[in-house]
Amino acid sequence: MQTRRSVSMTLAAFVMAVLPAAAHHGWSGNSQEEFELTGTVEQAVSLAGPHATMKVRAQGQVWEITLAPPPRTQAAGLNEKAIPVGAEVKIHGHRNSDPKRFEVKTERVTWNGKTFNVYPDRD
Amino acid sequence: MLGHAMRSSGVWTYGVVNLGHILGVATLFGAVLVLDLRLLGLWRTVPLPSIAGPTVPVATTGFVIAAFTGVALLATKATEYAGNPFLLIKFPAIAVALLNVAVVTSRPAWKHMGRPDQVAGDRRTLAVAGAVSLAAWLTAIGAGRMIGYW
Repeated sequence: MQTRRSVSMTLAAFVMAVLPAAAHHGWSGNSQEEFELTGTVEQAVSLAGPHATMKVRAQGQVWEITLAPPPRTQAAGLNEKAIPVGAEVKIHGHRNSDPKRFEVKTERVTWNGKTFNVYPDRD
Repeated sequence: MLGHAMRSSGVWTYGVVNLGHILGVATLFGAVLVLDLRLLGLWRTVPLPSIAGPTVPVATTGFVIAAFTGVALLATKATEYAGNPFLLIKFPAIAVALLNVAVVTSRPAWKHMGRPDQVAGDRRTLAVAGAVSLAAWLTAIGAGRMIGYW
């Protein structure tokens, strides 16, 4: 009896944990539509954590720019020193599907005529 | 300081520490699963001390590895995880699991596990501990895996 109850409790915990799964690692939490954003670099590229990141100020908001994993981002030529803070950049990718979140999962960053293509196998 | 070390020691650091965390969790859960299933009544022909003997130190080692690497992973971007609801499931689940270890190992049923005069009550106590342990660790691991998908 105890066993059966705890097995069903475990299953319930799993279902609760899986249901609201959104983005970060995958693309499922992002809009299907291609998205472009032009703004100024607020915080330089960081090659730490599961994905490289940077922050861009655009449309009166600070946007979280989620890049590829750090080794892949670096391989695309994009590192901490590649783009100075305050530079105007164009971001191409997919916006977070939650309209209240200003986050773009990014495929390309263009600055000063240079394109950093962190996901070259994606459109 | 730890967060700074994680952020400034190369692009592979996070991936390698993440690998260590997975190996720690795998070591912990593999050992825990075998012990808990024995406590729940599987493999009764194998004496419990013969299973507890190797699984307890292996699980403890796995937990220590997972704890150290886990702190390092969190420290990388501590502020980003502050509002993550899965952390609020994961850490209480770990607390329950550790409390369960403390409680069961202080019970006579555990201390006298090798004795031939074990009564049904003792077996029930150990089975409950095994069930709580499995539920708590599965919840902790399930919630932990989901942290990155929030």
